[in-house]
This record gives sequence, structure tokens and C-alpha cells, in this order.
Amino acid sequence: MRQAGRRGTALALGVALVATAVLASLALGARPVSLPDVVGALTDFDGSPDQIAVRSLRLPRTVVGLVVGLALGVAGAVMQGLTRNPVADPGLLGVSAGAALGLVVAVTLGGVTAVAGHIWFAFAGALVAAVTVYAVANRSRRSPITSLVLGGAAVSATLGSITSAVLVVDQEVLDQYRFWAVGSLVNRDIGVAAAILPFVGAGLLAAALCVRGLDALALGDDVARALGRNLAATRVLAGIAIVLLTGAAVAAAGPIAFIGLVIPHLVRPMVGSSHGWLLVASAVYAPALLVCADVLGRLLVRPGEVPAGVVTALLGAPFLIWLVRREHRPAAVAQPPPADGVRTVQSSADRRERAVG
Amino acid sequence: MAVIDSLRPARNRVSGRRRPGRRNVAVCGVLAVLLLVTVTVSLSVGDYPVPFTEVLHALVLPSWADLIVQELRLPRVLTGVAAGAAFGLAGAIFQAMVRNPLASPDLIGVTAGAGVGAVAAITLVGVSAAWVPVLALAGGGLTAALVYVLAWRRGLHVSRLVVIGVALGGTGFAAGALNSLTSLLVANAEITDAQEATVWLTGSLHGRDMEMAAGPLIALGVALPFLPAAARTLRSLSLGDDVAAGLGTRLGPSRLGLFVLGICLAATATAAVGAVNFVALGAPQIARRLTRSHVEPLVASALVGALVVTAADIVARRLFAPVELPVGVFTAAIGAPYLLWLLTRSGGVR
Repeated sequence: MRQAGRRGTALALGVALVATAVLASLALGARPVSLPDVVGALTDFDGSPDQIAVRSLRLPRTVVGLVVGLALGVAGAVMQGLTRNPVADPGLLGVSAGAALGLVVAVTLGGVTAVAGHIWFAFAGALVAAVTVYAVANRSRRSPITSLVLGGAAVSATLGSITSAVLVVDQEVLDQYRFWAVGSLVNRDIGVAAAILPFVGAGLLAAALCVRGLDALALGDDVARALGRNLAATRVLAGIAIVLLTGAAVAAAGPIAFIGLVIPHLVRPMVGSSHGWLLVASAVYAPALLVCADVLGRLLVRPGEVPAGVVTALLGAPFLIWLVRREHRPAAVAQPPPADGVRTVQSSADRRERAVG
Repeated sequence: MAVIDSLRPARNRVSGRRRPGRRNVAVCGVLAVLLLVTVTVSLSVGDYPVPFTEVLHALVLPSWADLIVQELRLPRVLTGVAAGAAFGLAGAIFQAMVRNPLASPDLIGVTAGAGVGAVAAITLVGVSAAWVPVLALAGGGLTAALVYVLAWRRGLHVSRLVVIGVALGGTGFAAGALNSLTSLLVANAEITDAQEATVWLTGSLHGRDMEMAAGPLIALGVALPFLPAAARTLRSLSLGDDVAAGLGTRLGPSRLGLFVLGICLAATATAAVGAVNFVALGAPQIARRLTRSHVEPLVASALVGALVVTAADIVARRLFAPVELPVGVFTAAIGAPYLLWLLTRSGGVR
């Protein structure tokens, strides 16, 4: 009972946080707008400069921020559950590197300059990269998660090298790329949110379907198998969820990867390690964090602004450091089984091999 | 059950310690020969090709090719070999110490710290180019020290070290605090400076002289006498903290020693050639699969690192000649597919 009450409180707090963040995002910025005017802009539009700022500039970026934050938070929780590695980030599947290459290809070949045009190329790049990583990991029979992580690193590095080859040669592409690469919500119109929404929805569905499998995975491969879980199905579903969610988020806002890493750590003490609650709580707190970061970035250096990706990183880093220093045994911060998850999985596979051979 | 489980690999690994695998020695020998061949090829090819025999001649005796081989090509080739070996060795030390194949100097924040230093030197006005490696070295060293201090609390816990390293540096794919600062500096710079910064962040051997080679060479020279002890400690640490302590390894001092060793190697190499991608991460994993050892092998990792950088430099110079691309473009392009192939080969992954 007490556990359920605490989870309810945590969720209610999260929803309140989202509402506050949205209001602040609509009201604050280079031109502060009063709350009645904000409400007026949404319900009773009169065309005043204040209301135009709210309706055509701040509302779209707030909506994009909510969708992107939601996607990143859930993807991060699924990723950490799948790999049992506390530092696993969705970017590990090669998604960010693929999206970056897609963007660079779009600008190089087509001279695409609008954000709306970038999205599809970036998303396609993210998909191709992740599918490659998955194909590689699937072909190796032993320790699939180690192969997944290492394969992701190798594919990211390969794609990254193609990207940097273009960037060092072509100044115009670099000029576009560098503003995407910081991760930002600037100049995103409502069409961007609409474009990624179907993919985010499908990703959320896949994440919901693999919740129980992830709970079983947390007990270790052998226990999960003994419980009758189909590990391969769980891994494929989790992979689909991560790729769709992260790919959509990166395509829309650039690599704002810190949220996927921090949010699961933040909500785990509040709702526990059960993945159902973890995913729901991540889905509430992550958008709040991203929108808050965007608002903060606007207020820090008025009338200029610090990109949201930089703010999340500067906020997230000290938070993560505080979190691991607070714990006496940092294993508690990590997922159960112990902290160095990748090698743990691997060495247990080693052990099995040697026991057999 | 758990006790038996943890003892079984222990016995295997300890017995492996007494008899350093013949396979490891053979692999190192083959890698060394390959490296010598690659270096010779690298000294020979270019806009003005020099025959192999003349290259060998020019290295020891006065020759018409002295200017090209000794003055122009040898410094950059030597910088590449030294930096590659330092990256490979540093990566092996970190991966074995942290017991995570993703650990590399990137993960401990060294590369990100060096990146902020170098990109700040390039993009902020009034700093001469000579300061780029100095600020890179300072940035990398300071970040590593900061990570170590923050991770220290009633002893050093390895997973705390990794999480704090990721928080500051990022993982190379995901932005940490310092990587974000670098992106911000690049986004706000003049476009020509941004391009120069991108070349540094990719990693380049262009125009490197003997002074640049000196940094990683000195670090390698200092590291050499410590390698046998480091290898022994790493094998012991690979059994887990408790078993290692039981075998008589003093966890705190040995981790600090390994940390300092790895940081010196990675920071000097990064300062010399820039944030070369993949070598520190991939070389130890390739070496580990070649030697079929359970712990990342130190010497083999250094040799693989040197080989990858030298080979990548040949491709970077010749593929689109006369246009020369940064070497970092090809370190991943050469090393990563090979690692992928090793991963997909059934039985190759352990």
C-alpha cells in the first residue's frame, strides 16, 4: 500500500511539474508574456505581438519539447533495462550517428535547409544504423548484449567517420550541421511534432509490450529463461522501441542524449525498479526536464539563448555525479545485477562456455 | 553455487598467469612484422614515391631521399605509431580495470576535456596555434583528475568512476557536459575556425613534427617498465574486487597507478593528434579476440592501435590524393568493420 501511495504521489508531482514547465515555456523568454495573455493566445487570439510570440514561436517548440522528452525518457529506461548497464544510452545503438549522417547527406545532396526536410533523412539514417547494429548482434550466438553494445560502438564510429569526412571538406554542410549537433528546440514548427508523433506512438506501444520481459531480464538471462520468458522477442521489441523513439527524437531536436541517461536514475528511487512504473514515470518526468531546460536556456543569456541540449547536459552532469556520490555502494544506482553490467553478462557467458567445454 | 561459479574462472585465469599464452606471443610477433611493413609502405608512398630499398637506405645512410623520408614523412609516421600505440595501451588498461568493453579514455572524460581545451584554443580569439596541444593536454589531465576526485569516496568504486566520466565527457556517441560545451563553441565560432576545430576533433597527422611525436613517445617510454606489473594487477582485478583483494592486490593504490598510467598515455596521444576516433575503444577488443585472452592484452593492444593509425594514415593521404583527409576519418573506417566482422563470425565472440 505504502509503495503504491508513493508511486501515485511521484506521478502526480511529475504531472504538476509538466504543467508548470509548459506554462513557463509559453510565458517566459526574450519577451515575457503575462499569464492571462498566454491563455488568451490559446483561446482568444487577437494578433497582438505578445500573442503571436506565444502562438507561433513558443507553442510549437514546447510541443516538440514534450514529445521529444517523452521519447528520450522512455527510450532511456528501456535501454538500461535491456542492457542492464547503468551507463547505457540510446545513442549506443548507433541512432545518433546514423541521424547525423542522414542529415549531412540531406544537406550535401539536396541542399535541404528546412528543419522539416531534415527529419526524414535523419530518421532514415537512424533506422539504417540501428538495423545494422541489430543484424550484427543477432549473427553472433554468444553474449548478444555485448555484441549489441560493441556493434553499436563500431557502427557509430564508422558512420561518424563518414560524417566527419564530409564536414572537414564541405564548409556549407558544416555550417548547417553544427547548429543541429548541439541539440536544440529553436525554430521547430508544429509540423515537426506532427511528423514524429506516429513513430513515437509506435515506439511507446513496443515499449509497453516488452515491460514484463524487461522485468524478467533484470533477474539475469538464466532466471528469465526459467521463468518462461522469450528473451529474443523481448530484445527485438525493446530494440524496436528504442530505435523508433530515439530516432524520432534525434531527428526532431538533434542529439539531446543526456535525458535518456539521467531520467531512469532519477525516477527509480521514487517508483522502484519495476519497468512498468519506471517507463510511466520516465514518460512524465523526461518532458518536464527537457521543457524546463529549454526555458532556462532562454532566460540565461537574454536576448540570446543557450541550446536546450547544452542546458540538459550542464544540469544532468552534476545531478548524475551527486546521485552516484550519495550512494555508499553505487550498485544501488545501477540496475540489479551488479554495476558493470556488460562485462557481467559476458563473463557469465564465458563461464558457461568453459563449464561446457 | 555462487562460490563455485566464481572460483572456476579464477583457477583458469591464475594458471594462465604462470604460462603467458604462446598464442599471445605469436600474435604480437605477427602484429610487429605487419607494423614494420606498414611503416615502410607509409614512408614510401606519397606525391613523390620512393622505392622500398631507397626508404631503408635513407633511414640509415645519407641518400637523395633523405629530405622526403626523414624530414617530411618520418615525423608524421612516427607520431602516428606513437599515438596509436598509446591509445591502444590506454584503452586496454581502462577496459581491463573497469571490466567494461566500452571503457576507453573517452569514457573517463579525457578526450572530452582535451576537446574543450583544443577547441577553445582554436575558436577563441588571440590564442596562437602552438597552444592547441598544450591546452588539450591541460584539459584532458584536469578532467581526468576531476573525475578521479569526484569518484573518490570511501574508496574508489569503479562503476562510480564510469558514471562520473560519462556525466562529464559523454560516451563518444552521447553528449556529456564537456562535449556539449565543445559543440556550443563550434556552433558560435567563425566558420573557418569551426572547420579547423572539426579537423582537430576528427584527429589529424597533417604537419606533425618530431616535437609532436615526443609526447606520446615519452609517455610510452615511461609506461614500459610498469607494464609487467600492470598486466599482473589487471589479471588479478579481472577476477572481481573481492577475489583480487584476497589474492593480495591492494585495490586503491593499484587502481590509482593504472589510472594515472592510462591518463598519461591517452592525454599525450590526444594532444599530439587530436581526438582520433575508435582506436582506444576498438584496438583492445580486436587484440583480445586475436589473442583469445580473457583480459585485454596490453602489448597486443598497443600494436593493433599503432597498426590501425598507420594504415589509416596511408589511406587518408592517398585515397583522394592530392586532397588529404584527416586520419581520424579512416581509423574507424578501417578498424570498425574488422571488429564487426570479428563480432559476426560465429565463435569469434567470447
